[in-house]
Formats: sequence, C-alpha cells, structure tokens
Amino acid sequence: MPMSSSSFPSGQPENGIDANSIEIPTVGTILVPGAETTSLNCELRSPDIYATGMNGALKRLPQVETATPGLLGRAGFVPRWKPFWPKIKTFGVNFPAGIEFLPPKKEPGEEETRAIHVPAPKPVDPDAEQRKPTRIKPPSNALSIEDRLFFLLQPPLESWLRGQELIMPFEPFPYQYEGIAWIFSQDAALLADEMGLGKTMQTITALRLLLRAGKVRRVLMVCPKPLIPNWQREFKTWAEEIPVTTVEGGGDRRRMYWNMPGSLVLLANYEAVVRDFQGMEKDEMPQFDMVVLDEAQRIKNRGSNTAATIHTIPRKRSLCLTGTPIENRAEEMISLFEFMKVIPPNATPDIRQLSKLSEEFILRRTKDLVMKDMPPRLDRDEIIDLSPAQRQAYDYAEKEGIIQLNSMGDTVTVQHVFELVLRLKQICNADPLTGESCKLDRLVANMEEIAASGGKAILFSQWTKTIDWLQERTKQFGCLVYHGGVPTAKREPILAQFKNDPKSHIILMSYGTGAVGLNLQFAGYVFLYDRWWNPAIEDQAINRAHRIGVKTQVIVNRLICKNTIEEKIDMVLRQKRELFQRVLGDGDNENASLSLTAGEIFGLFDLRARAGNKSKPIGPPKPKADPAAA
Amino acid sequence: MLSLWWEWISINCGPGQGDCFMTQQTNENRFHLGFLRVALTDQGYVGGLLVTNHLGRPLEFQCTTPVRANRTQQILYGPTLEPFIYSELIGKTLFERLGIKPQVLIICQDSILDVRRQVDIPVVCLLEGTEQTDLPDHLKVAIGSQQFQLHREFTEDLERLNVVQARIPKEADMLEPLERVNDALKETLRAGAVA
Repeated sequence: MPMSSSSFPSGQPENGIDANSIEIPTVGTILVPGAETTSLNCELRSPDIYATGMNGALKRLPQVETATPGLLGRAGFVPRWKPFWPKIKTFGVNFPAGIEFLPPKKEPGEEETRAIHVPAPKPVDPDAEQRKPTRIKPPSNALSIEDRLFFLLQPPLESWLRGQELIMPFEPFPYQYEGIAWIFSQDAALLADEMGLGKTMQTITALRLLLRAGKVRRVLMVCPKPLIPNWQREFKTWAEEIPVTTVEGGGDRRRMYWNMPGSLVLLANYEAVVRDFQGMEKDEMPQFDMVVLDEAQRIKNRGSNTAATIHTIPRKRSLCLTGTPIENRAEEMISLFEFMKVIPPNATPDIRQLSKLSEEFILRRTKDLVMKDMPPRLDRDEIIDLSPAQRQAYDYAEKEGIIQLNSMGDTVTVQHVFELVLRLKQICNADPLTGESCKLDRLVANMEEIAASGGKAILFSQWTKTIDWLQERTKQFGCLVYHGGVPTAKREPILAQFKNDPKSHIILMSYGTGAVGLNLQFAGYVFLYDRWWNPAIEDQAINRAHRIGVKTQVIVNRLICKNTIEEKIDMVLRQKRELFQRVLGDGDNENASLSLTAGEIFGLFDLRARAGNKSKPIGPPKPKADPAAA
Repeated sequence: MLSLWWEWISINCGPGQGDCFMTQQTNENRFHLGFLRVALTDQGYVGGLLVTNHLGRPLEFQCTTPVRANRTQQILYGPTLEPFIYSELIGKTLFERLGIKPQVLIICQDSILDVRRQVDIPVVCLLEGTEQTDLPDHLKVAIGSQQFQLHREFTEDLERLNVVQARIPKEADMLEPLERVNDALKETLRAGAVA
C-alpha cells in the first residue's frame, strides 16, 4: 500500500481556494485493501502568509505516522491453479524390417539410359475420372491390432510399386492391383483368375512386396516341370532383383538346395518336391514362409501321393494358382482348402461350407468381366473341302472302319471308336499316300499374307508328327517348332527367336506343351490345325496369344474339313459350349467339363449291331440335353 | 558335397545374384520420414505418428490415448489450448516414444507446427492455396509434389530440408501417408487399443 503525504495551505490562498475545504487523509484513516489511493505532491515550501500571530505553527513540518491496521476478518479461500495434465498413454507398433534390394546390375555394354522405371505416368486428362489408389485391406481373419495396422499402414500399391523402380513392361490393370493387394494380405489364398489375366505377374509382384515388407523371407514355388523356364523368365521380367534358385539336378544337389539358407525363392517341379519330401523326416524338412502351387489342380485328389506330400511341407502362408479350380466336381477344392489350412485334415465340408470358404479364400475374375477394353478375339471357322486324294482315302477308311466296328457288335469299346476317329482326323490333316493336304494349302495361302505384313502366327496340332511334317513345308515363313520332343533347355531360345526374329513368322506347337503358361501376345494369328477334344484346352492354347498385353485383335482360324468327322466333333462341342454358357453364364464357362463323353464319341458314327433281321445301336446312350445332368 | 557348396556359392553369391539384396540395416543411404496427425474425436484428441522409410513403407507407428481438456483448462488456455495439446502434449510425447527417429516431421495442421520447439528435427506443414505465394522463400520448401511451410523461428531448417528434398521424387505424394495415419487412428479407436 503506497503511503501518501500531502501539503495543505492554511488560510485563504491567493487563488482563492479555501485550505480548510481540502480533504486531508488523517493518520487514523482506515486503508481498505484494494481502495483507490491518490499520490500527492509532497514538496514543501514556505507559503506566503499573513502575520497572524500563529504562523510559527504553520512553519513546522507536518507529522506523518504510519500504522499497520489489523484485518477485519479471517482470509477467505484464494483460488489457485497450476497447469497439470495427466501423463498421456501411448500405443506403438514396430513393423518387420524388410529386405531392400539393389537395382539390378547392368549387363556389359548395356545402355546407360536403360529404362528400369514404371512407364512415365500418362498426362492426366482432367475429364477422366481419377482412379482411387489401391490400398491393402486387413484380411477378415486378422484379429490383432498389430496385424491390422500392418496392412492398413502399407502405402497404396500404385505409389509403392513406383517407388521400387520396378521393371514394368506395362502398368498393371486395376483388377491386377486388387489381386496383388489381396494376395499380400491373405495367409491362405486361391487365385483362380481365368487364364490370360496375369496370375503369374500378380503373384510375383505380391511376392516382391512381401519380401520387401519383411513378411516372407523364404518362398517355395512349385509348378509343373514344363513351366519352370516360364517362371524363371517371368521372375526376370517382373522382379529382376530377386534371386530365384531352381531346384534341379541329382539327389545330392537337390538336397543341398533344400537345406541351403539364404535362398529367397526356390523354384521346383511337383515331381522333385514329392520325391524329395517323401524321403525327409518331419523335423528335417525345410521351413518356408510361403509355398505357392502353380496349376494347383495337381493336388485336387487328396488321396494322391502328390497331394499328401505337398500337404506336409512346413509353411506359414499358402497360395494356390489355377485357372480351373473345379474341373469336374466341387469336391476337388477340398484338397486345395486342406493345403491352405482353412479346413482340418480329412475334413469333409458340405457344399454350403465350401461355398462360404470360396467367398473368403478364392479370388476369381474372368476375362469377360475385367478386360472389357482388351482387343477382341475373332474366331473364324474355315470349312475346307478335302482334296480329291484325301477324300478318297477318307471315305475308304471311314467305310472300312465302320464296317469293322459294326462287325464287332457289343464287344466294341470306346477305344475302338477312338482309334477310328484319330485315323480319320489324320487323313483330314494330310493324305498319307500322296501328302496332299487341303489344310496345308489354306495355311500357306494365309501365311503368305501374314508374313508379307510382318505378322506372326501360332499353329497348334495334337500330333508331333504332323508338326514335324508341317515344319518341312513352312520353312519359307521362318518356321519354328515347340513340342514335347524339343529338349527343355532349347525351348526358351526358340520362344525368344520367335519373338525377336523378324523373319520368323510362325511357330508350330503341340497342345500338350504349348497350351499352358506361355506368353505370346505379340502373335496376332492362331491356327488350330486340328481340333482338341476339349474346347477348354483349345481356349488355353488360344490364350497364349490373346492375353494381357495384346495390342491388336487376335484372329483364330479353326481349320475344319467339310463333311468329315471334324465337322461332327465341332458341332457336338459347339452345342455343349452353348449349353454351358446358357447355364453358367458368359463369364464363367471354363469350369464345365467340356470333353466328349463315351456316349458322344460313339454317337459320331451311326454304329449298329445286327440282331437277326433287325439292328440295334451300339454303345452307351447319348446324354440327354439336360443342364443338370451335364 | 564340397564342390556343390562352392557351386551354390557361385550361383547365389556371384555378381548379380548374392549381392543383389541387402538388409535394411546395411543401407547407409536410408532416411526416415515422420508423419504426424492429431484428430478430434468423440473421446478427445488423439494423435498418431507414422515413421516410414524413404519409399513410404511403414517402420513404426505410435498413437496416444484420447486427451480431453476439462472446463478450467479450456477457459485458462483459451485459444492456445489446441496448439498446446497438439504440440506439447501429443506431438512431443509421440516423438519421445519413437524408437526410430525420422529426419523430418511432416504435418498438415498449422496447430502442430509449434512441435518444432519440442523436437530437434525440421517440421514442415502443408501450404495450401494462396499461402504458397504469401510466404517468403526462406520459409517454404517443396518436398515431393507439395509445398510446405517451415516454422518461423527455425529458418535454418531449410538447409537440412534441402537434403531431404533431393532424395524424394518430385511426383511423390507426401500427404498420402497422413491419410494412412488417420485410418490407423480410426482402427485403434475402434479396436479400443488406446482407450
């Protein structure tokens, strides 16, 4: 509390103010805390005064005293506040350290400017709808928050792949991004995309991301033996930096591969895996973070040796790849589900349970549904008249064959009929005596046009002898041959030559060897020189060319000889295909078993056994045109 | 058998094979980015901090329990409440909890920018619209495809940020990881992991 002092005049000042009227605080004044106070000028001067006889008193300094007043009452509550915040709790999660790869080394003499990045993003069309980036979703069976956060916090695939300096021959399609994200997040998965939609690429890219994210460090890839070079090539294309070790050679060498630490991806065929794992004790089996089965329908029969052995491979994640998850019966999926560990061993789920499992663990897309913008496939049935020599040979063989079959009566089997069919089909390909061939004439005529325009064609036949015979007659088109008789080591160079050699316009393939797993989308023409029994196999063959990456339309020529067994087979197969399309829809017609039944093979000829004066049909009855029965 | 080992070594450890990959620990050029976000939810303020490698792959994630200010705190802190909660309470706590320290902290909320006073790494905040032109050059930096603002008191950060800037591709979207943080916060709240 500041102390105040005051000067106060006495008597009547010159300015006329009455000194007595000034209120002077007295010593006894009670100072109230917080009350307003006034500071007064305390300079003391000798005032001009009149002689009054009492001026001496005026000259004395005023006496000012201070005193501490006591409180009027007890002090009340004084609010006091100090900043205080409770300690914040946190929750944290660390993610596994992945593997980082160095960029692939350049070959000597390779151009410094070799592009290894994703193709530059196309200029953004402001009108075009911006596509949502593909985020990885936690799988429904991921229960722990750590697992769920791992998937949620992964970057969108588009930016992730771009950041990896990934060699991408072309930007993945949206459905492929979805497939990659799905494989990435699933511990058990069956990717059942229709052939040609890029199961291989999706698998390799997902593997690559899993390796980088530290989720897997050792992967076993099992595939049919003929597809080993294909996988090697695809890994080279899509993930050049990932070392792939092929398990091959003798027993000792293979054993070394199995036990060698540090191999990221082991590539092996079914036969080698079954042979080697059968001889191992449970505790000496190599452990894998992930096992991938290509053409997984190989283990559809769970009673088989292959399935039983494959099921025992120690693994954390399981991935099956197949374009035909069901070839004949829904039960075929049970073995695959058992491998994926989504059902207990030897379980027998009913169709309702299978359906539920399929929804959760199977991803299947068909070309019709996802590849609306793909160039079309144009099918052309070329109905050709047999040459005179072929016609003569054909009529004779058919007549004799039927007579022979009829004479066998009820002892005739489907094998007998089958042999006749094969014989007649071979005559349709070429007359065995003169070598005349209406199909060859048509092929050469077409090829001259294709070669002149710089195009490339694939020809399929079911016989290697036919292929070898054609090779001699199509040399002018730089003909190459690819069938089971060609050693495995020579197959890759043949495919490379077909792709790169501008003088090579045609490659002759067998359905058995060439129909599966090859990428020949640079070929714009496919010739089916003779027909396979099952249109699904023919589709597989055609899809070597008509697949992702195809730039132009693919023209498929089916060479069919008029008024022959080929026309009859074609008609039966066409009816069956139409029937299944009506029942199953356009999007999914390859699950149906489209092969000819015994009854249908018998039905190709009007075989009748004599019974006295009458005759009766030979062979099993034809199936009724009942979708359910089919 | 010995010859087979040598053969394997030559296959897998030869040029272009065995040395084509390396673990993250041996990569000397690595650097880490931090992405911090605070969200106001029904349960209070929650913060999440994601640390990624230079390719955006997650390495660590930390998040807080919900923080609520009581009425007294709201009155006494007034307009400084949110910056205080964002920076001093949540931002600082999360940063201290990190096992992997980032080289730069990226945010998109102005209120968090003051966290720079609490940490010893540059903090940059997204600039939007006209802010980009209004700010002097020494207070802004382009990282990836976006422009960011520096803290006014730490203009010397610009030099450190130039190093970061050079390592990140120009087309990189630096805001996308903040969306992931947002999703992760939702997930943790939904799962009750931080309740």
